[in-house]
Amino acid sequence: MSRNWLERNTFHYSDFKDLRNLVEVKAKKNLRISLCLPTLNEEKTIAKEIVIMKSELMTRYPLLDEIVVVDSGSTDKTEEIAREYGADVYRASDILPHMEVFQGKGENLWKALYITKGDIIVYLDADIKNIHHRFVYALVGPLLLSDRIRYAKAFYDRPIAIGKNMMRATGGGRVTELVIRPLFSLYFPELTQILQPLSGEYAGYRDIFEKIPFPIGYGIETSMILDIYEKWGLDVMAQVDLEKRVHRNQDTKALGRMAFVILKTFLNRIEKLGLIEKKKEMFNEMIQYKLENDTYKPDIRQPADHERPPMISVPGYGERPASLK
Amino acid sequence: MESYLEEIPSYVEKIKFIKETILSNIVLIGQVPSQTFNEARRADIFQERMADAQVDECSMDEFRNPIGVVRGTSDKKPPIFVVGHLDTFIDKEVDHNYTIIKDAVYGPGIMDNSAGIGILISLPEIFRKLGLRFESDIVIAGLIHSLGKANLQGIRRLLGAWKTRIRGAICVEGGELGRLNYYSDGIRRCEVECRISAEDGVEYRFKPNAILILNDVINRILTLCLPQRPRARVIIGKISGGFKHGIIALEGTLGFEIQSDSDQMVKTIFRDINDIVDGLSHEYQVDMKLKTISSVNAGTLNFNHPLVKSTVAIMKKLDLKPIAEPSGSELSIFLSQQIPAVTLGVSRGHNYHLANAWMEIEPMYRGIAQIVGVIKAIDSGVCDE
Repeated sequence: MSRNWLERNTFHYSDFKDLRNLVEVKAKKNLRISLCLPTLNEEKTIAKEIVIMKSELMTRYPLLDEIVVVDSGSTDKTEEIAREYGADVYRASDILPHMEVFQGKGENLWKALYITKGDIIVYLDADIKNIHHRFVYALVGPLLLSDRIRYAKAFYDRPIAIGKNMMRATGGGRVTELVIRPLFSLYFPELTQILQPLSGEYAGYRDIFEKIPFPIGYGIETSMILDIYEKWGLDVMAQVDLEKRVHRNQDTKALGRMAFVILKTFLNRIEKLGLIEKKKEMFNEMIQYKLENDTYKPDIRQPADHERPPMISVPGYGERPASLK
Repeated sequence: MESYLEEIPSYVEKIKFIKETILSNIVLIGQVPSQTFNEARRADIFQERMADAQVDECSMDEFRNPIGVVRGTSDKKPPIFVVGHLDTFIDKEVDHNYTIIKDAVYGPGIMDNSAGIGILISLPEIFRKLGLRFESDIVIAGLIHSLGKANLQGIRRLLGAWKTRIRGAICVEGGELGRLNYYSDGIRRCEVECRISAEDGVEYRFKPNAILILNDVINRILTLCLPQRPRARVIIGKISGGFKHGIIALEGTLGFEIQSDSDQMVKTIFRDINDIVDGLSHEYQVDMKLKTISSVNAGTLNFNHPLVKSTVAIMKKLDLKPIAEPSGSELSIFLSQQIPAVTLGVSRGHNYHLANAWMEIEPMYRGIAQIVGVIKAIDSGVCDE
């Protein structure tokens, strides 16, 4: 296993602080950059993300060409607030309306490919409490400044000091450390160098995103890494330390459901790659238990596991109106 | 005066065009904890933003107050100062992440004084948007070490090192929109510390209780006869002490402020309270001392001073009702150096010193227009007479 990747392709956001230079390189390469925020009831955090990105990366330094919100059907004021602060707001169900409607973050990210104009697309979760424009410029930086890197992913909290004796915990969340890292260690040891594979903030060239399938739910980050790795190799990927990210904490049961979807996505992928052979189909129910009136009752969920095909294969994608290209 | 006065209402709508820049500045500076004596990070961001806004000069003074200068067209006119304090009362452990909703911004310290600082660092962009050039240099300064025990060191050091004449000044506070401070009370901020030896000694038949002794101090302060003229009052603002519910308190601290428009009256009241403290200390046989934490002298502009009159006219033009009250802030230092100055508030706010403080967004635009209007008034010469 090559461990060089960690040293060569790991950056700190401060490496890309020269925004003027990034804007110049972007202009020289004649690129457009879109920021996509997938939302579902994010009225408390969405405005700040839009305000800061618009002010810092559109008005002050024209790094972004558009901010697009793709909403799953919020029942709060997310859409109204996002519009008020100048984002282009779409209901996910209104994009490609002839197709069956699904709900999930991956669905919104996939549909964003259809309505954004950028050659580079930045995906940020919309629930980041300590949002700062580094969340965008640091992910765009490696893509602009290197001709080799096509996809960049965030990690947080300075989890590791490279090249010194100091080592700290890798700072991944519980699902990363208990599910993804063991699986990567078993099947793709190289990928363990990606410190926080489940982080929800990443950027990449359209020609990468449009060629891979998108699971509509929690499996999106895992499948994205596996698919990019399989098609283009680890070297096109980079990771950037954004230091601190504050967001809502999920309870253990919710994380359990997340782990269920991720495991399923992973197992399906490695089966497709011929690494395992399943003797029988997996069940598709996550069974948890809750205590009600001194009785344990099953809490059975069927997490969404539909997968969207590569956008490039969707009829009409290549013929979108010029305003959407 | 009339010529610029007519333009001012039109600023409000133009300023709204850069609302993202202004809100972004308020949030980015407000999210950095900046308790008094620990303002370095906020000062760095202030300076970075000034550099980003491409002001003509950007620096830190020797005391580390960050300063940006927008050069004027005349080298003969003295500069105009626009200042705000960078420090807050909010502990760094409090979650400083701000929230923006449709018509409000929430976050600890927003009204005192993140909104004020956010506006200061937006001023270069606001001037650009409004197409304004001034004859005077506009010196935009963030002040460290202002509140409480810091005793306004930031502004004292900034003005102490400034060798040339200053044409006039505006102190910017987050709230409350409509305030017009042009006079400052003499203020002495004090603490009474009461300590009782933990050893049982012959002097105590019954162990005294620090909290009860401080309660006695309060009661005696309340019996002081304070005059109506000169205006004077004592505000009991803080009390702390004790260890746990069932144990006699051996330590306690009482914080209060003496305020008067007469420095002499402040001194007299301080002496009276000192006598109370000495007397009770002797009576209870405890170690109790009165300390001065900070003090400022009284100062005033007359109501008919052209700066005050112009400011009132500008506020009325923006449908703001001026509310005159004494201020004990940076204003007093300007006035004590015979520099005409006023303190203005940016917007309306709520829960000022709580973690869930919030500011209304819409009134802010008039608050900013008012500040720009007063800069224009000073630049047109209202402080030159």
